[in-house]
Amino acid sequence: MEKLVDVIDVCKIYNPGENEVRALDHVSLSINTGEFVAIIGQSGSGKSTLMNMLGCLDTPTSGTYMLHGMDVSHMTDNEQSDVRNREIGFIFQGFNLIQSLTAQENVELPLIYRGVSRKERERLAVEALIRVGLGKRMDHKPTEMSGGQQQRVAIARAIAQAPPILLADEPTGNLDSGSSKEIIGIIKNLYKEGRTVILITHDPGIARQAKRIVTISDGKIQSDIINPDADV
Amino acid sequence: MEYIRNAFASIIENKGRSFLTMLGIIIGISSVITILAIGNGMKQSVGGELNDMQAGGITIQINAKKTDKYLTGAQVRMIGDEVPEVYGASPTISGYGDAVARYKIPANFKGGNEYLFHDQKNVLSDGRYFNENEAESAAAVAVLSQSEAVLLFGSTDAVGKSFEAIIGGRSRELTVTGVLKSEERDITSAYRYNSGRDKSYQSIRPYVPYTLMTQGFGLAGENVVSYQIFPLPNEQDPASLRARRVTENMMGLRGQGAVNVQSFASMLDSFEKILDVVTLVVAFIAAISLIVGGIGVMNIMTVSVTERTREIGIRKALGARTGSILLQFLLESAMITLIGGLIGMMAGYGLTFIVSKFMSFPPQIRLEDVALVVAISSSIGLFFGIYPAFRAAKMNPIEALRYE
Ligand SMILES: Nc1ncnc2c1ncn2[C@@H]1O[C@H](COP(=O)(O)OP(=O)(O)O)[C@@H](O)[C@H]1O
Ligand SMILES: [Mg+2]
Repeated sequence: MEKLVDVIDVCKIYNPGENEVRALDHVSLSINTGEFVAIIGQSGSGKSTLMNMLGCLDTPTSGTYMLHGMDVSHMTDNEQSDVRNREIGFIFQGFNLIQSLTAQENVELPLIYRGVSRKERERLAVEALIRVGLGKRMDHKPTEMSGGQQQRVAIARAIAQAPPILLADEPTGNLDSGSSKEIIGIIKNLYKEGRTVILITHDPGIARQAKRIVTISDGKIQSDIINPDADV
Repeated sequence: MEYIRNAFASIIENKGRSFLTMLGIIIGISSVITILAIGNGMKQSVGGELNDMQAGGITIQINAKKTDKYLTGAQVRMIGDEVPEVYGASPTISGYGDAVARYKIPANFKGGNEYLFHDQKNVLSDGRYFNENEAESAAAVAVLSQSEAVLLFGSTDAVGKSFEAIIGGRSRELTVTGVLKSEERDITSAYRYNSGRDKSYQSIRPYVPYTLMTQGFGLAGENVVSYQIFPLPNEQDPASLRARRVTENMMGLRGQGAVNVQSFASMLDSFEKILDVVTLVVAFIAAISLIVGGIGVMNIMTVSVTERTREIGIRKALGARTGSILLQFLLESAMITLIGGLIGMMAGYGLTFIVSKFMSFPPQIRLEDVALVVAISSSIGLFFGIYPAFRAAKMNPIEALRYE
């Protein structure tokens, strides 16, 4: 299996000096193509910091992060933007859709920044929206949709350009249990289709659905186990 | 392309606010347009009159505030004979009224003697000038230009035709003895006017004997308070000095400053000074309102950037580069000011149109003014949009995404 994510001895230190916070403390972690990994930890354990790093939204204070064979730990803002656009599909807790745009326009956003032609963009966006069961809601704006539907738009946006990694940060955190099940179902299906999924959560019930569970606490990896009970 | 659509959508979404932001630009641009149009119209019409003056005679006036003496037509003729630097001198007695033939046209009749035609601009195309005998005997004759003939008779062929001249309620039948050459485009525009295609203001200035003005229409009695001299080439200055001295001697007005020479240079000078001051004042107002408008745009864009922090975070997370965000917000502010500029331009033209109704000259609207407006207003947007756009582009995506 190809090594997709390779985090080597990474530290992230906030406020260096007197009252510094070691949000990530010598973390090493490898993830192969096609894996379904849950990263679980309590609030303040460093999950979001790790997710920002994995998603190339932030760079480590020390250590190396190899993504797809590239060293992405010392990149300029614009280089990071390009890597994010190409490699990562984000699914956020708060959906993070642009309110003034329709579902389809939201899904087209990363494709615009990739320079995909208008026609091709439309095709990919429609395809992705159908894929998450929103074929009939493409012209709706976020305010006209339920939380579950909004999160499905966000998933469509994440998969439209088929990035190597799907990075989901508490994707069901803002949803009722019914919608949560639906969303987790879609994510599991994407995994079954061969996508690499990294799911960050504080909810053991959700983490249990993944094949591999990484537990993080106080910025350190506590355990990294293959989950025998995964129902996928 | 995508960016322009986005910018437009965002402006439409905040219609009310966008419009308020545009107000300063609208006021600035509309005043720029109005002053340009009025200034150009004024320059053209006044400039035209001044040109007449340069080519024609120099006007010498007796200041009625300083003396109640006046000249007769015969004395004016004598002055012309005594000044060696001139062809001659002609009284000038003007009267406003109407000329009626096939069409009725407002007319400013210019009364003088036969020296009136020593005007370098006057070239006869048909017929003859009126002569000394006619000039002194109140003959009912007139000389017109080709374009005036078209306005009056519908054709340049006017010699021998007659029309009714009405001044101050008195009416006389005048016969055209001569037609002067006009510029081709003036003739064309006269035809356009007669066919109803051109609605601009038109009037004519026929030349008639000065005695017709005094005896025929009862203007000015026998009194001449202003006359024109027609200098030989390159003799303008000595001619006007000498004419003034001769006039003062003749009237016994030496050293009283009661005889004024209205030279072309002095009139052009004062006209341009006035126009310059007016232009400067309006340009100042326009500049202030454009700067205020620009600061308003900067203000609103800064607010908009803050409000849309999360959107910026999302765009960056999805792969927008610094330049894309910069471009997005620069285009948005440029578009606001451009739309404001275009609205201001229309408002300015509306205003110019209204103003021109109260003035005797047509407003001038030029393509380069439109280009100027587009350039000015969009550069204001670009300039004042730089700061907010940079703020947006430099945002940290993690913090921007956390923003509530
Ligand atoms: N920008 C920051 N500045 C200072 N400390 C931070 C910052 N972001 C996170 N932290 C600290 O780092 C630790 C890990 O935070 P985080 O990664 O958000 O944890 P989690 O997502 O698991 O709740 C916490 O102690 C938090 O207070
Ligand atoms: Mg967190």
